[in-house]
Amino acid sequence: MSSDVRFTDFKSDKQPTWCPGCGDFGTMNGMMKALAETGNDPDNTFVVAGIGCSGKIGTYMHSYALHGVHGRALPVGTGVKMARPDIEVMVAGGDGDGYSIGAGHFVHAVRRNVDMSYVVMDNRIYGLTKGQASPTSRSDFETSTTPEGPKQPPVNPLALALASGASFIAQSFASDALRHQEIIQEAIEHDGFGFVNVFSPCVTFNDVDTYDYFRDNLVDLQDEGHDPNDYEAAKEVILDSDKEYQGVMYQDENSVPYHEKHGVTEDMSEIPDGAPDDAMDLVREFY
Amino acid sequence: MAEDLNWAVGGEAGDGIDSTGKIFAQALARAGRHVFTSKDFASRIRGGYTAYKIRTSVEEVQSVVDRLDILVALTQRTIDENLDELHDGSAIIYDGERSWEAEIPDEMTAVDVPLKSLAEDAGGAIMRNIVALGAACEITGFDVEYLDEALEKRFGGKGSQIVENNKEAARLGQEYVAENYDLEHLGYSVETTDNDYVLLNGNEAIGMGAIAAGCRFYAGYPITPATSIMEYLTGRIEDYGGHVVQAEDELSAINMALGGARAGARAMTATSGAGIDLMTETFGLVATSETPLVIADVQRSGPSTGMPTKQEQGDLNMALYGGHGEVPRFVITPTSITECFWKTVEAFNLAEKYQTPVFLVSDLAMSVTEQTFPPEAFDMDDVEIDRGKLVDDDEVDEWLDAQGHFRAHAVTDDGVSPRAIPGTVDGAHMSTGLEHDELGRRTEDQDERVQQVDKRYRKVETAQEEENWDYREFGDEDADNLIISWGSNEGALVEALDYLKEDGIDVRVISVPYIFPRPDLSEEIEAADDVIVVECNATGQFADLIEHDVLTRVKRINKYTGVRFKADELAEQITEQLSAEVPA
Repeated sequence: MSSDVRFTDFKSDKQPTWCPGCGDFGTMNGMMKALAETGNDPDNTFVVAGIGCSGKIGTYMHSYALHGVHGRALPVGTGVKMARPDIEVMVAGGDGDGYSIGAGHFVHAVRRNVDMSYVVMDNRIYGLTKGQASPTSRSDFETSTTPEGPKQPPVNPLALALASGASFIAQSFASDALRHQEIIQEAIEHDGFGFVNVFSPCVTFNDVDTYDYFRDNLVDLQDEGHDPNDYEAAKEVILDSDKEYQGVMYQDENSVPYHEKHGVTEDMSEIPDGAPDDAMDLVREFY
Repeated sequence: MAEDLNWAVGGEAGDGIDSTGKIFAQALARAGRHVFTSKDFASRIRGGYTAYKIRTSVEEVQSVVDRLDILVALTQRTIDENLDELHDGSAIIYDGERSWEAEIPDEMTAVDVPLKSLAEDAGGAIMRNIVALGAACEITGFDVEYLDEALEKRFGGKGSQIVENNKEAARLGQEYVAENYDLEHLGYSVETTDNDYVLLNGNEAIGMGAIAAGCRFYAGYPITPATSIMEYLTGRIEDYGGHVVQAEDELSAINMALGGARAGARAMTATSGAGIDLMTETFGLVATSETPLVIADVQRSGPSTGMPTKQEQGDLNMALYGGHGEVPRFVITPTSITECFWKTVEAFNLAEKYQTPVFLVSDLAMSVTEQTFPPEAFDMDDVEIDRGKLVDDDEVDEWLDAQGHFRAHAVTDDGVSPRAIPGTVDGAHMSTGLEHDELGRRTEDQDERVQQVDKRYRKVETAQEEENWDYREFGDEDADNLIISWGSNEGALVEALDYLKEDGIDVRVISVPYIFPRPDLSEEIEAADDVIVVECNATGQFADLIEHDVLTRVKRINKYTGVRFKADELAEQITEQLSAEVPA
């Protein structure tokens, strides 16, 4: 790992095809800066991307990366980290990837507390398929498939994480570049599963949850004197549906990541040229 | 034909049937005898009948037969379920003090032993099955000291008192029969040898093969009958720096394994039934991202939930064709328990050499059958590891484009691209389920698309040329009658040869462990008068493939009752088919 890594080293030379003004630009910049700032470089970083607009991030960043099956980014990241505890793993996806098709994996990734970060670009809409309701869309949000709105409450991903036993829950806003980067950095540095829900507005299909909306309504927990180690206080802000919060809501000071609990510390890519030396013991066990 | 003894213990699920059977099987193996076991699980909705059956001989045994000599029956149903296999000389051990009144056909020998009372005398009713084992030793003249060794192995961890109590229970059973019955006329005897055998099942062989091959990461979701691979690895793979993770479902399991493989570990997952359906979602990604991954499918009876504890070879088409689009893959089907070990090792090498998914298709019958082998059958010195085109920091340079990007999907003559794993300097790249260019970046360019599809299939062509895809052969090479089979039917077929020979029928058996790529059987089929394809499914999935390959009709023997082939039954069916007409 070299000390002179710049965030642009994490940028590929492929031009993003996101719509001009898409929140994902800001989200990605913050991710790259946070990775560089925490001493990582592209050769020791693995980015797993989901499917959807957000999933394209693997193409626009430069690192080891896999762009996989819709909804399964977290399991892939889990496998990478278990096999290679020495590698920095960051999983990125959208609200559909994480809270709809991949919701089951989200719950269990949170429970497992694998030492990686998970950045969800939440635009409260399906953008790549041109504007259908997402699991975080408002109940009255009219779309092509929900002309009168979904008529169901949006998923509260922060509460879902809390209920699943999360050790780190945060939220940021793609447009607040400095704070967004700081929060992602904290997620990376957290000993365990660092989950950040990022408000990443869709300028094409969502005219409700816009930059202006978030600018007008965002409350930064840092300014509120919020103590992220206080579980009860975290519960309160997470369940408060009247406000849009930014900041680290909850961090378990005593978080023990998966690899420590399970003693998974070896670089599994290193194996002998033949069977292990004492492998005949495995056979003798069957006497 | 082997001078064999067929023994079984049966009762309700929860009666400790499995462990009782396993102890007796181990005792026989310790005595230098070969053992082949099978299990009956609950097959009807009511009740939970289960049985553990052992066929044993001083010669190798590879199949079950339709005969039962000694039966330990803990329930009447155990007797009823096995009436067809019991014969005039059979001895049935039961507890006459129990509440049920045993109905045993007069011609058989009823051996009433107060199992529970004697167990209580030895220290606890829980040992009643061990009393029955002692009784079985007496009937067969089998030295109870071999049973002691198996009891030490089974209960050694629980303290010497438990071991001693169990030994005492066995002796009380033995003495009771000796004092109350004279059964020498039945003529059972158990010869012993000085040979040392190991006793293991197919799933244990797959797990052991995985560790030997350097597999360090296993992700799975419990499902019968694949779970025991996961259970084998848990607690053992850690000794080699590996880890087993129980995923939330099969969708996750295969993606975790994929992640482990992309990180550079030899990784695998195993499943069965509906689990393989869920995993199908990710087959294409494994292939297009060119990730070395071993996916084991321990087949069980389908479709849907089917008969989850029953045998079937119904997933061949799924393994060959599962997934949307065209997915290059290898399909390997071990034909015996030793082959479960060796083909697992081979699967990991093929996966890494060709950076492609390898399906290791086993089945329920092999997964639950415990069989004896000389330990040399698993000689670890013969395990070879080939990691293919894995590049290090220095070798990466050869594969960078003008801008310094690593060409992870470089178009090469043999179709295989270099592989850099995380941490390799300058090897950073993306891989994706999208069609991509050499760098792994999305493309819809027609030329690049064709280049990548061709390169992926060129790997299969290269493997076809460079690897050994031979079949295994048994019987008479020059026989006019050719039997072709895949997977676990091999053992029963080999034993069926003996029955057929007695009837003067010469047969050549070809047992195929490779379904894709597979050996070309044109000449063999051309040379035969009669060709019969044997498989445990209803539609003849492998027979269809062969007909497609050689453009000629074959005869078929299909069994889809949920029970594996038995040697004697198979011999009968082959004889029948040989005189039948070839289908039009």
